[in-house]
Amino acid sequence: MAAALDYLRPASVAEALSLLSTIEGAQPVAGATDVWVGIRSKKHSPKALVSLKNIPNLRFILPDRETDAYEGRAEGVTGDSGVLLGAATTHGDVEDSAWMKTHFPAVHQACSGVGSRQVRNVATVGGNICNAAPCADSAVGLLLYDATLVIAGPAGERELPLSEFFVGPGETRLGPAEILKEVKVPNPGPRTYAWYWKHTRRKGVELPLLGVGARVTLDADGMVEKARVSLGVCAPMPTRSYEAEKVLEGQKLTAELAAEAGEVAAANALVRDTWRGRGWYRREMVRVLVPRVIKLSGALS
Amino acid sequence: MKTITFTVNGNPVTLDVSEDANLLSVLNDDLELAGAKEGCGAGECGACTVIVDGVAVTSCLYPACEADGRVVETVEGLVLESGSLHPLQRTFVDYGAVQCGFCTPGMVMSAKALLDKYPNPNEQEVKVALAGNICRCTGYTQIVEAVLAAAEEMKK
Repeated sequence: MAAALDYLRPASVAEALSLLSTIEGAQPVAGATDVWVGIRSKKHSPKALVSLKNIPNLRFILPDRETDAYEGRAEGVTGDSGVLLGAATTHGDVEDSAWMKTHFPAVHQACSGVGSRQVRNVATVGGNICNAAPCADSAVGLLLYDATLVIAGPAGERELPLSEFFVGPGETRLGPAEILKEVKVPNPGPRTYAWYWKHTRRKGVELPLLGVGARVTLDADGMVEKARVSLGVCAPMPTRSYEAEKVLEGQKLTAELAAEAGEVAAANALVRDTWRGRGWYRREMVRVLVPRVIKLSGALS
Repeated sequence: MKTITFTVNGNPVTLDVSEDANLLSVLNDDLELAGAKEGCGAGECGACTVIVDGVAVTSCLYPACEADGRVVETVEGLVLESGSLHPLQRTFVDYGAVQCGFCTPGMVMSAKALLDKYPNPNEQEVKVALAGNICRCTGYTQIVEAVLAAAEEMKK
């Protein structure tokens, strides 16, 4: 382990940003679960860890007040305007939120499947996103709902769609002196159905061979107004399958259409061979799982 | 080194810890609380599970500096003031949920965190709560039974 590691616990976003911009090689952490493993295995050797865990107002699910310790922002954020997640919200917070389960089932499913309960109690949604693993479950779930990231930096705050955030494995558009502050998810609208399938060998405490999410929003006549298909471990980063979405949008949703979306998603997937699974198998399973998640979402009934 | 102050099993402690130390090593080496075990050292086996601020965590992945100001519970704190075993300890013995015992402190602490929050879990909820605790001896059935029995016991 790097002997010179420092561990800093700023009390505000401003203090955290100032530490990150003045200490070269400083890394922000929240739960630190993944970063700590990386340090122990000597994969990373940051000069300092800047813990975001003690900054107030970074851990909340608005408007679900049950896990909310956030003051001053409740006004203007209602059930009608989607959800605002503090970046330091843990996967366990989402798992325990009946409100999230009702309103954003795919995000709830994705967060509930990360690691073990012990890890979910500590690991944060913001950390899962910034860690930018190709298998980041919460990101695959959030992509379905057009989530936007609120990023704080030296020049103030900026917003970036989650779909534009990832560059490659472990690489994002987050600057070295920036932190992810909030995840904004718009109201997906009535008649929205979504599901996330984490394809694993074991039932729990497993990284996915593949993560597949689908969301459809139907109009009053039952036509697909908006469709989102997201894939994890199917490319070097969590991605949307824009091609499959195009197949679904504007059409009457049927089992055949869902199957066609699966074919198109599979044909266009940038699958890779890794030790966890071979590319051909992943492609085959995208074809199988896309229609399956659409069916499981309840949109077909 | 950083000076941290936290509560362990109801007792306040203050000590100097290295910035790269994890909570597990502070418990094991500095405080001589040997209950939490290092198995994998990567948050996958759960043998190091302790409770921090009411939730189960893998102490091997918990930076010691982050324990500052928090409330930590370990298996050593479970024995009741009367000296008798905690219901979870009792039922683990009664149901044969212990063989080699290496995973047991972590199992018991995960179970305690569950029961503290949800006193009336069903079998599936117990399995989810204990999924991060690996046991290579018992086959889990007795462990799940012991937790459900402890939940009944604690309702009395």
